[in-house]
Amino acid sequence: MTRQPRWLIGMVGMAALLVLPPFLRSYGLYLLSYWLVFVIATMGLNLTVGYAGQASLGHAAFLGIGAYSVAIVMKAGCSFWLGLPLSAVLCFVVGLGLGFPALRVQSIYLAFATLGFSVAALLVMRYEEWLTGGTSGINDVGRPSLFGLDLGGNLAYYYFVLAVAVVVAALLRGVLRSPWGKAFTALRDNPIRAESLGIDVRAYTLLSFAIGASCAGIAGALLASLVQFVDPTPFGLGVSFTMYLMVVVGGSGTFFGPALGAVVGVLLPEWLRFAQGWYLTAFGVAVIVLMLWLPGGLLSLPDRLKARAIAASRPRT
Amino acid sequence: MTPKLPTATVLIWLLAASTAHAQLKIAVIQELSGTGATAGTNFKNGVELAVKEINAAGGILGQKLEATIDDTQSNPGIAKALALKAVDDGAFAVFGPTFSGSMIVSMTQTRTAEVPNFTGAEAASLTQQHNPYIFRTSLTQTTSMPRVALYIAGTLKAKTVAVIFVNNDFGKGGRDTFVKAAAAVHLTVAADISTEAGQLDFSAPVLKAKQSNADAVFVYTNEEESARCLRELRKQAFSKPIIGETTLAGQRVIELAGPAANGVLAHVGLTAEAPIPAVREFRAKFEKAYKYVPDHNVIKGYTSVYFLKAGVEAAGKPNRVAVARALHGLKISAAKQPGALMDVAIDDNGDLDRASFIVQVKDGKQQVKEVLPPVAKF
Repeated sequence: MTRQPRWLIGMVGMAALLVLPPFLRSYGLYLLSYWLVFVIATMGLNLTVGYAGQASLGHAAFLGIGAYSVAIVMKAGCSFWLGLPLSAVLCFVVGLGLGFPALRVQSIYLAFATLGFSVAALLVMRYEEWLTGGTSGINDVGRPSLFGLDLGGNLAYYYFVLAVAVVVAALLRGVLRSPWGKAFTALRDNPIRAESLGIDVRAYTLLSFAIGASCAGIAGALLASLVQFVDPTPFGLGVSFTMYLMVVVGGSGTFFGPALGAVVGVLLPEWLRFAQGWYLTAFGVAVIVLMLWLPGGLLSLPDRLKARAIAASRPRT
Repeated sequence: MTPKLPTATVLIWLLAASTAHAQLKIAVIQELSGTGATAGTNFKNGVELAVKEINAAGGILGQKLEATIDDTQSNPGIAKALALKAVDDGAFAVFGPTFSGSMIVSMTQTRTAEVPNFTGAEAASLTQQHNPYIFRTSLTQTTSMPRVALYIAGTLKAKTVAVIFVNNDFGKGGRDTFVKAAAAVHLTVAADISTEAGQLDFSAPVLKAKQSNADAVFVYTNEEESARCLRELRKQAFSKPIIGETTLAGQRVIELAGPAANGVLAHVGLTAEAPIPAVREFRAKFEKAYKYVPDHNVIKGYTSVYFLKAGVEAAGKPNRVAVARALHGLKISAAKQPGALMDVAIDDNGDLDRASFIVQVKDGKQQVKEVLPPVAKF
């Protein structure tokens, strides 16, 4: 698909996200907000995994760090507006730290190193009761207000999450179009050549982790206020795997991939609920079929169809 | 022909309206996958059986029940989505979730929408928030743990106890309540051992319990972990009494642990082995329908639908607010409401008072050793 129609579809999707929600009831609004939270988180993971080519299975931990930061800050009586940037900054710093193993190991070994980090973070959430409330979690996490406008309602909060998603997407777009973006892809495609071209491989590897992590931090902050409760369960290993799945299914290293991937990861299981007890099995089968048929992710579908059309139109010899 | 058209439309509309009103929608929101799957699936099966029975007998005040079943994936974020869905769909009552964390999140939604919400969750805090729409389906840890501690200190004459618990909201909450209850009866906790949900290897916790040289061990973990712990206790030839609360002597644990479960003592709020004719009859019906022995979670689910029935009948009309009001302070007699299985009193917070049992596992079966009476008079 050429650039123009892809952006056109993006604009139509955006218009739908702006116009349709007032017609939805609270379940629909909540699900859309939940989806957007995961879009923000997976956009970050897409930068680390898809663009910079670093395998990370610790993303749920950053989501958790973000969520707990906001919950703890708000419980201490401070504002959400302090918690949100704090989540992003804290995750950026921790992300930098997690980037260091990536300087030494790659692929599956890196995946395991990040997995270890995820487990450690989960243990802190579960055992450091004085800070995190342990397994009982933190209840009554509030929703913010902005310039006197209360964002407590489901619709208002949805628009707020949408606005944050748009801002994060625009910032990431800016990063990817800058020389940084080129450096990230160079890092993924051929690190040795990248280094020989004068790209500081070390700095960009760390940055790819840090920026990806801060996106998850922001998403976590929004998630805490959306659910209004934080406990360790939504930040387990399974969620890290699901987010990785969202990136791959959507189309790893494509800008709109995370939005589609999060549809598969968050909304598809809900749509499959009609299958009753089989809905998670149906979800698993759908993912397997998708991966077999479209290994490049959902966004590779138009190119694939086009290639098939060209092949069909070519006269047989 | 034209005059007939509006008449037909009105007729169809009336018909549709009458069928819509003749049904009470109930939403079953349970942990059907993830770490809470055993408890949630059993609770759901119990609800299903009760709904079938009630509908076959003509419904509640002539209105049939229509149940929708949804899985929280043991995740509070999804549980909240499902509570919102239930409210959007106009559910008359909600059954679940069972995990306390999920319950904390979803009960705020049912409270705002004034929907009676029955839960198998154990955390004491749930019914201490003056939420007029929340109702338990079992005794709480606050009621059970003092009974367990008293049994260990009194009947077993133990001076010290080792505690092995699972560090999730269920296990940690139970452990905290148990430790307090033990202190009240001068029972010393010799070892306080935390384990993980999904833990496979129990050799270290069991070794610690053994080394503490306590007079007894109290095990408070979820089903699968309980079975693994029991197997390890037997493997390491632990010779002191092993005591649990409900889960440890549960049917699923007995099946998984095999002979290792024999000899285990437990306080249970609900058991299919209770020497009560109504419970025996229920067990036979359930086994026929589902081909396995019901555990306490099945009984929780089953009886909770009958609690709703008793509430609607006491209110005299299917009005959610009136039903919630009627349920508070209601004494449900098993003689009049056989589906409740045992006499039960619901207090002003939605907590239950009911008889409970001390059981021992023998030859893979629970045997009731003692019946502990309820506080309330019936």
